[in-house]
Amino acid sequence: MDLGLDRSELDACVSCGLCLPYCPTYRVTGADIYSPRGRIALMRAVQEGGAPLTDEVVDSFETCVQCRGCEPACPSGVPFGHLIESTRESLVEHGHRPPLRLRVALHALGHHSLLLAGSSGIAVAQRLHLVPKGLPLPAKLPVRRSRLDASGDDVYLFTGCVMDAWQRDVHAAVKRVIEACGFGVSPTGGDAACCGALHQHAGLGDDARAQAQRVVDSLGDTKVVLVDSAGCGAAMKDYGRLLGTAEARAFSERVFDVHEFVAGHVDGLPGVEPLDLRVAVQDPCHLRHVQKAHMAVRSVLKPFVREIVELDDEGLCCGAGGAYSVVQPELSHLIRDRKTAAVEEVAADVVVSANPGCLLYMRQAGVVVAHPMELVARALDA
Amino acid sequence: MFGTRLRKTRPHAGDDRCVADLVAALGVERVRSDGAARLLASTDASIFRGGAAGPVCFPDSTPQVQACVRIAAVHRRPVVARGAGSGLTGAAAPLGSAVVVSTTRMNRVLEVDVENRTAWVGPGVINLDLTHHLGPHGLHFAPDPSSQQVCTIGGNVANNSGGPHCLAYGVTSAHILAMEVVLSDGEVVMLGGLDAEPAGYDLRGAFIGSEGMFGIATRIAVRLTPDPPAVRTLLLSFADVDSAAATVGAIIAAGLVPAAVEMMDRRCVEAVEDFVHAGYPRDAEAVLLIDVDGMAGGVEAQATKVDEIARGLGGRVRVAADEEERQLLWKGRKSAFGAIARIKPDYYLHDTVVPRGKLVEVLRAIHEIVDRHGLLVLNVFHAGDGNLHPIIAYDSRQPGMSEKVREAGREIIEVSLAAGGVLSGEHGIGVEKRDFMPLMFSDDDLDQQARLRGAFDGLCMMNPGKVLPSPHSCSDITELTEAKGDLWG
Repeated sequence: MDLGLDRSELDACVSCGLCLPYCPTYRVTGADIYSPRGRIALMRAVQEGGAPLTDEVVDSFETCVQCRGCEPACPSGVPFGHLIESTRESLVEHGHRPPLRLRVALHALGHHSLLLAGSSGIAVAQRLHLVPKGLPLPAKLPVRRSRLDASGDDVYLFTGCVMDAWQRDVHAAVKRVIEACGFGVSPTGGDAACCGALHQHAGLGDDARAQAQRVVDSLGDTKVVLVDSAGCGAAMKDYGRLLGTAEARAFSERVFDVHEFVAGHVDGLPGVEPLDLRVAVQDPCHLRHVQKAHMAVRSVLKPFVREIVELDDEGLCCGAGGAYSVVQPELSHLIRDRKTAAVEEVAADVVVSANPGCLLYMRQAGVVVAHPMELVARALDA
Repeated sequence: MFGTRLRKTRPHAGDDRCVADLVAALGVERVRSDGAARLLASTDASIFRGGAAGPVCFPDSTPQVQACVRIAAVHRRPVVARGAGSGLTGAAAPLGSAVVVSTTRMNRVLEVDVENRTAWVGPGVINLDLTHHLGPHGLHFAPDPSSQQVCTIGGNVANNSGGPHCLAYGVTSAHILAMEVVLSDGEVVMLGGLDAEPAGYDLRGAFIGSEGMFGIATRIAVRLTPDPPAVRTLLLSFADVDSAAATVGAIIAAGLVPAAVEMMDRRCVEAVEDFVHAGYPRDAEAVLLIDVDGMAGGVEAQATKVDEIARGLGGRVRVAADEEERQLLWKGRKSAFGAIARIKPDYYLHDTVVPRGKLVEVLRAIHEIVDRHGLLVLNVFHAGDGNLHPIIAYDSRQPGMSEKVREAGREIIEVSLAAGGVLSGEHGIGVEKRDFMPLMFSDDDLDQQARLRGAFDGLCMMNPGKVLPSPHSCSDITELTEAKGDLWG
């Protein structure tokens, strides 16, 4: 069966296995079938060897977190993220669609006002104890969100979908820091509603491309686009490949993670008393393995906190993986257990992570978390 | 762990009773019999494919390994132990529908005795994880194969693995004190011991390097090595391979014992530099990566001497400025095999060891062989102990290419042996070099090896068809290579 995979990309894997320990699902199962090398062997078996798409083969593909931790570990430069995205898209075309509840949720992400209203509705219901426990939702969604008004026209702040509904406080903190660097901020709001990353990970390629095109169209001037969600930033930096147009490539060139941007202007920030905190940095996979911008988090944060400590887990995923924790709870929890063990080791006051999914998922496990920019903003305002 | 998923699994035709017994003994979450899992267990990191593996078991205790072995025996199925599957000789590729026993779940460091510098570990502990675990104690596990970030201690024991730093510290055998082993009849024995001189024959020594034919180690006592107080890493580059080889000879002749002396040729340097960006010189025909370690004063003196020797032979010298640069240079060296795919989709490499004085001569002969076959070779190897790794990069889909590569491989082995070398330095024999064994050993030698094997496993249930060529092997290899049943049945 044709999975639509580029043969030269498949050929890049010589099966050396150096990726295995950097794969969260291999780490928690010890099984080849849940490893990048195993998944590539199965892609080959299906596309070139005539193997059938059995339940177990589908399971192998669907259990990939798409953290892309295998990519920096690969001496041959196998573009695994691209291979698995294409595979997932082919699975959907062959009838292996994501669960209905996920499709409904993903559909809502592109309808910004509806999403905000729905989220507020759930928040009210939560307070009336009408929402059953055990749903994959944050404990106390915000009923109301502070307004996020434009303060100028120097840079865009991409506000996105779920993050805007659930974590607008983070956007506000980011905006505060960018302004302190001397730039006027224009939040993108509902027009550029959703980056499409979650659709792409779920194999809904058409939806992902539609969302991406909408973002490109609505942010069509020359301002830089700053992103405070690592997953969104990684996706938007890849629009050039996803959409395959010159316009999209030019757009992607303008996208920066907010830490990359602030790191270049950190000298312009006022000197303040650092927060008296021991801070552990948890690198979101798509910031570390994909954007490779994780060191900027440290350089931005350093002047504003007492101490920064590293987790001793070589950047292994926390298990959130966008919607992964919802569709693969079993593996996701095992992966998170490793992360929380690494967090306990360092005995930090707070763990920072520059991605909303990681923040929510670790918070659910009882970890005290914050977006790095929240700490910077707090230090500036103290 | 994958319990909920396994219920969907279809048993392999003819496997039903064996699988049912395994499931009853281990639990449904520790046995996989679906085509996908069996396909992936049918090979390692080499180009060799076994038949379809049988069910793949994930035991997490010695009694569970015993159960796997006993159930396999009842159903007359061979047993193949598997670690990370990073081997390069097909030793873990099961022939026939063997029951595969994966040790990856037995991955705990069980006990560390800092005072006596020993530790008990599960066979599935990853080599680099162990060293990482020991970091706070200032200790490490000395054997450091290039695959150390993924390979397991159990696999190191099975292959008597080496690594760059084995030049000064010795290979795996020198770092294993004892192990608990499940034999082919399910009996559990302890080989070796923590005492300085355990009584009786050195069965521990016999077991190390037995490539899964003598049993499955379920707990391993390793010797721990103190981290050296100081390390200096030098990168020497040369305009030709001969000067690099002469430098190696001169360093050893000067009485120096560097911790590691590794050589890479130009093509190899280009491939790894594309990955690590460590500043390897792309214009050099050969580079040497050398570690000297020990007390700070001695390290300085050794580094100075190496520097003098290299410059005297026309080399350029760069000393790693800090630990970060050191690590990056070593990362490049240790990623060399994987980086080959930047050149061609397949690679085949040999692992012969030749006397250091013959390095230049053998390297020339290898180039001559490879050129004659119209193939491409990259060299990356442990120059300090003459352990060659000529890597032939090729595309197996080109008609006739695999045959050419195999023929060139045979010729490389022949010239290495003719120069007074041996078949394998550290990768083992597996299926890859099984049929070359008579080039090195007489019939009597091989019969003796078969007898030793028979003493551990009289019925040839453990990893049959490996290492010993027919007719010295007690199993019918032809039958074993045929997969039984349809993988996707």
